[in-house]
Amino acid sequence: MKVHIRHWRMVITIGLLLSITLSGFAYAALGDRLLGRGSKGSEVTELQKKLVQLGYAVGTVDGKYGSKTEAAIRRFQKEHGLRVDGLAGTQTIKELKRLTGQSTNASGKAVGYKNIDTNLLARAVNAEARGEPYIGQVAVAAVILNRIADPAFPKTVADIVYQPRAFSSVDDGQINLPPSASAMRAAQEAVTGSDPSGGALFFFNPAKTSNKYIWSRPQIKQIGNHMFTK
Amino acid sequence: MRRKLWIGAITLALLISLGWGWNEYRLAGEYRLAGENNNRRALNDFASHLDQLETDLAKGNVASNPAQKILYLSQVSSKSEAALKDFAQIPAQQTGLSYVGQFLTQSGEFARILAQRVAGGGTITSEEETTLRDMHERLMPVNQQVQDLILRMDTEKLVWTDPDPSWRQRLGLGTQVAEAAADGSEAPSKSVSSGLDQLDASLQKLPPFSYTGEYATRVVAKPLGLPAGEVTKDQALEKARDFLSKIGYGDATPEFSGESQTELACYIFNYKESYLEVSRQGGAIVLYRDQRAIEPKTLRVEDASNKAKAILQALDWQQVAITSSEEFGSYVQFDAVYEKNGVRIYPDKVRLMIALDNGQLVGFDATPYYAFHHERTFPAKLTMEQAVRKLRPNFQVLESRLAVIPKSGNKEVYSYEFRGRYQGEEYLIYLNATNGAEEKIQRIIKTPRGEYLK
Repeated sequence: MKVHIRHWRMVITIGLLLSITLSGFAYAALGDRLLGRGSKGSEVTELQKKLVQLGYAVGTVDGKYGSKTEAAIRRFQKEHGLRVDGLAGTQTIKELKRLTGQSTNASGKAVGYKNIDTNLLARAVNAEARGEPYIGQVAVAAVILNRIADPAFPKTVADIVYQPRAFSSVDDGQINLPPSASAMRAAQEAVTGSDPSGGALFFFNPAKTSNKYIWSRPQIKQIGNHMFTK
Repeated sequence: MRRKLWIGAITLALLISLGWGWNEYRLAGEYRLAGENNNRRALNDFASHLDQLETDLAKGNVASNPAQKILYLSQVSSKSEAALKDFAQIPAQQTGLSYVGQFLTQSGEFARILAQRVAGGGTITSEEETTLRDMHERLMPVNQQVQDLILRMDTEKLVWTDPDPSWRQRLGLGTQVAEAAADGSEAPSKSVSSGLDQLDASLQKLPPFSYTGEYATRVVAKPLGLPAGEVTKDQALEKARDFLSKIGYGDATPEFSGESQTELACYIFNYKESYLEVSRQGGAIVLYRDQRAIEPKTLRVEDASNKAKAILQALDWQQVAITSSEEFGSYVQFDAVYEKNGVRIYPDKVRLMIALDNGQLVGFDATPYYAFHHERTFPAKLTMEQAVRKLRPNFQVLESRLAVIPKSGNKEVYSYEFRGRYQGEEYLIYLNATNGAEEKIQRIIKTPRGEYLK
């Protein structure tokens, strides 16, 4: 009998201890501790969501710090001038939090992310110009913006991207892939005014296109595999 | 016994696959119908908006009282925008420059310009009245033909896009129908898409409207700021080497990789991971981008700003001053604009990117500067005090200066720039320096990357 009671006490104590520590983990905020390979929990989920938001693919957002999350962290660190160690420490998390924050007005009130158009633009860039040099990606984003400024095209990013037969990546669904970090950067740069395409309205891959109309357009320049035309 | 089992299994498999096939067929039918409904909605909306546009244009023409004129002209502008949006959703064989789109954009814009003018107490010239009538004249047949297309959809079973040629036609046995529409001939269209192509071709034959607005011209016909004289490929190569050595790539060997054929024609060079364009006229470095891997950062944004200033000095760009920055993680992007006698000339812009690992220049874009830079003469202006009085009450001015700002349609305005606060928001307000009219308002938003103007 005595043994039994002790047994029960032990079970209860262990249970209590476990539940306290586990709830501590579950409610821990991102940035409270160093996260690395093998970490689990809601903080990791939050970390993964932020990575995806900035264009660093982690596979599925599952709250497990696996090889894909580590690779994403490494890429993020590399592209943001941080020490590349694959661990989500204070510096890395601080930078992630800063970049995924909302925009504010002058008195500090949050006004949303203010990037709806840039985001769709980034998707289009990702779908159309993945694997192209970065400057070619900026040029593709610039083509879409040039179309808005041209009278012969629709007047919003969505209308241009989803115009029937305008982009093959819309027809085959690649437009729905999450944009990469470099596509996001390219879209952002084009929105703030860069246009390496030289005012182009069309682009195509000369090796893969036989469309007569597109070949008849006056050519401006080739960047990577894309020919940009008026 | 065994045979019965086999027959049973095969029958079961057949039934399952039949069920599966029927289900797939049904689903495909549902999707097709959803797609068809969307297309029909777009076409009907398009026709309806065109019809309203036509009516409003007619009313806008006849209205003489300013309030009525503004009402109908604003409606013309919003209806043409709506029609353009519908038009962009109608299935097409391929997407190219659309004259229907152009017509809608320009008539909408023209009506908006006129409405704004009348609202501000201005008048419409007889020439503009003629243009407006002309737009109406052109719209009428467009409207008729679109309505005709809808009618023919019901009577002739028009399809959305021309079918691909059948194997008989491919072998040259049948007649080719798809080609007829593309050259604008009046052969009856077999599909909605070719019917709209015919419309496009008939509009293309008409002369362009004459008016100045945002969509009248888009690019500068000729760059204004390039130095005189053509350079050869070898001279351009020398310029490229000189530029590279000034930014830390001594003894660089850039390789020629092509030419660009724009208003601002360039020789293109590659060196390691960088891309460089040297203008044919004047041999100026127009665009540079280094895509090297950037190491962990050692500099802060302020340090980078100092580096940017030093690089501007080294490259002989003393005439521009840095006005804004945006952080991209491993590098910072700076915009610098031309300043003359304390007047900021925003169209003449140069963009620099500084790597945060060693402060090297990794991006440079002087396209806007070379496109727009020219000697400007400034007209007589209001004094600062007079301008401040034109601002709305309670607008708390934080900064002020003179500036030239770009306006749509490649125009520029000489203006006073006021940065200030109003009810918890920060704005940039531009007042025309000559008459104090409000030219432009920009709201300042702080994003994680830096300040953003919207």
